[in-house]
This record gives sequence, structure tokens and C-alpha cells, in this order.
Amino acid sequence: MSGAPTPAPTDRELLRRYHDEGDRDARELLVERHLPLVRSLARRYAGRGEALEDIEQVGAIGLLKAIDRYDLARDVALTTYATPNVVGEIKRYFRDKGWAIRIPRGLQELNAKLSSTIERLTGRLGRSPSIAEIAEELQASPEQVLEAMEAGSAYSPVSLSAGSGDDGDLDPMETIGAVDEEFERSEQRAALEPALMSLPEREREILRMRFEEGMTQTQIAERVGVSQMHVSRLIRKSLTRMRAELS
Amino acid sequence: MPSDRIELTTPVGRDWDPVVRLVLGGIADRLNLGFEELDDLQLAVERLLLEAGPQASVKLSFELSDHSLRTRIGPLRAAALAEALQGPPPPPPGELTLRRILETVVDSFGVEDVGHDGSLVVRLEKVVQGG
Repeated sequence: MSGAPTPAPTDRELLRRYHDEGDRDARELLVERHLPLVRSLARRYAGRGEALEDIEQVGAIGLLKAIDRYDLARDVALTTYATPNVVGEIKRYFRDKGWAIRIPRGLQELNAKLSSTIERLTGRLGRSPSIAEIAEELQASPEQVLEAMEAGSAYSPVSLSAGSGDDGDLDPMETIGAVDEEFERSEQRAALEPALMSLPEREREILRMRFEEGMTQTQIAERVGVSQMHVSRLIRKSLTRMRAELS
Repeated sequence: MPSDRIELTTPVGRDWDPVVRLVLGGIADRLNLGFEELDDLQLAVERLLLEAGPQASVKLSFELSDHSLRTRIGPLRAAALAEALQGPPPPPPGELTLRRILETVVDSFGVEDVGHDGSLVVRLEKVVQGG
């Protein structure tokens, strides 16, 4: 018979394993352990025009940043350190998308009907409907449909590349020739893979279906059981999250 | 239909992304593109601008014909873009790079012009189905 169960590692031990030994499982464990904190903080910002799930996801990015930036030399609890990071990330998200929360009610209502209308038309037409077809179905103008789509496409897309123009002084052609391409590609691969792995399995699978298998959003929507618009949003959110992971 | 051209010079940044998306939406409506094709185009332009990194402004030129929509974006100053677009063969499965994204969402793309300062003008082409 075995003895007492092994106590769970402390946050500090997990942080040490991650920072000193590069143990990504330890990082994953820390994320899982502190997601309830993120959810709790995210709930404070619910009801302001953004889906709670989206706010939680943004908050989770703040948590990841806090874990990555944590200084082991400082004697401060991870929760204490992470809280302002999570809240800051959520506030930045709302600040960046300020335009989206002030949309007129009429457009919000039109936006709410868009997804089901596109699904219905896709089924009826056997292809992705045009803006004019969506507008006719909704008894709205194409301009209103586009505005409603825009109102719903509130997200914060960011770059996949780790840099942000810092090497802008270099001639791009020189850059191609001056470095070992395989070396650069292997570095890029090393950076991208963890970013991809940081995504939930369903989102990884959606990216794989879209960008490896070349499936259309409609095909993915059918297979996964969500709407086409939701697939579109998930793809963008996943790319955003990957970028946050890379940075 | 002869080729029509729309040109837009816009500041670069999240505040201006909706303007670019709406212009693309209007063009998609004009060309009778499907919702997915519009979404593809928007994603291609967004990713390209984001990969290019911070810069003051960019010019987008849209050339519409019966058969395709050709979009030119530039000048883009990020040196890394050239490799992403013209570099080694496509990455193996499991890697999600700008190049793979563009290969999925547009029919062709490439660097159309390189300025004296190394800035790029990038071309994206989307075939109009049934055009």
C-alpha cells in the first residue's frame, strides 16, 4: 500500500521548473490552476458588449504573460502578480475595441441575425451567399449588412511574426540572402509550434482543417457543428492568441 | 467589364482596420463575392498589414475585373515579409506561417515591387468564381 499522496507542487516550484528548466508542462499546470482567477476577473467585465468567453480568453493571455514574466527573485505570490496583468490585458482589449461597443442597437440586432441567415442561405443555395443575398433575406441594404458584419467582427488581430518592424532598415532581399534559410526556418518552427500547441484542441483542429486541408469555413462549420461565422471568428481569435504567445 | 480601380490611402492600425474591411466589403458586394470569399480577402489584408508592423500609412489599390480582384498593398516596410512571401518552399504541415495563410485564402500573391528603401508592394489576387 502506498503512503500519503504526493502533495501538489507549489506555484513557486512550478514557476521554477518552467523558468529554470523550460518545463512547459509546469506552465500548463499553472495556467489550469489559475484559470478560475481569470474567470472571476473576467466576470467583472461581463455585460459590456463582449462575450464572456472572449473576455476570459483575453484574460488568459494576461495570465500567460504574467507566468512568462514572473521574476523568481521576487517574493510575491503568482496570484498577486498575475491579477494586474490579467486586468490590464482585459482593459486594453476594451480600450482597443472601444468603437465596437458603441454600435447602434439596430445594427446589433441585425448582427445577431446574420449568422443564422448565412447558415440558412448557405444551405439553400449550396454555396456561401453574397452580401446582396444576405441583405435581401434580412430586408436590409448591403451597406447595413456590411456595417452589421463589421459590428460583429470586433477582434484584435495581431501579427504572427515576433518582430514588429525593428529590422525595417534592412533590405528584404539582403535578408533573404544573408541568413541561413534552414536555420531561420528551424527557429521559426521552434517559435510557432509552442504557439500552436497553446491553443485549445478544437481551435488547433480548426486551423489544421482550414490551412492544411484547405477546407472551407462552411465545410469546417458542418464538421465541427458551429456556424460559419463562428468558424471565422475562431480562426481570427486563434491567430491572435498565437501571436500573443509568440510575443 | 473593363478593369476598374479603387485606391485608398489609410493610416495603419487597429482603429483603421474597420475602414479597410468596409471597403473590401463594398467591393465584394460589387463583385457579388460570397461571404467566405470576402472573409478570406479581409483576413489576407489584415494579416499582411499586421506582419508589416507599425507604420504611418499604406496605400491599397483594388483592381476589379470580370475574373479577378487584384489588391496591391504598400509600401510595407518589414524586411521579414519578403522572406515570408518569397522564401523557401512552403512549410511542412503543422506550421502556420503568413505564407501558408495567404496560400489558403487567395489564389496568388507575391512581391510586386521593392522600393529603394527596401519597402515592398505586395500583390494579392482572388479569382472571382463564375466571373
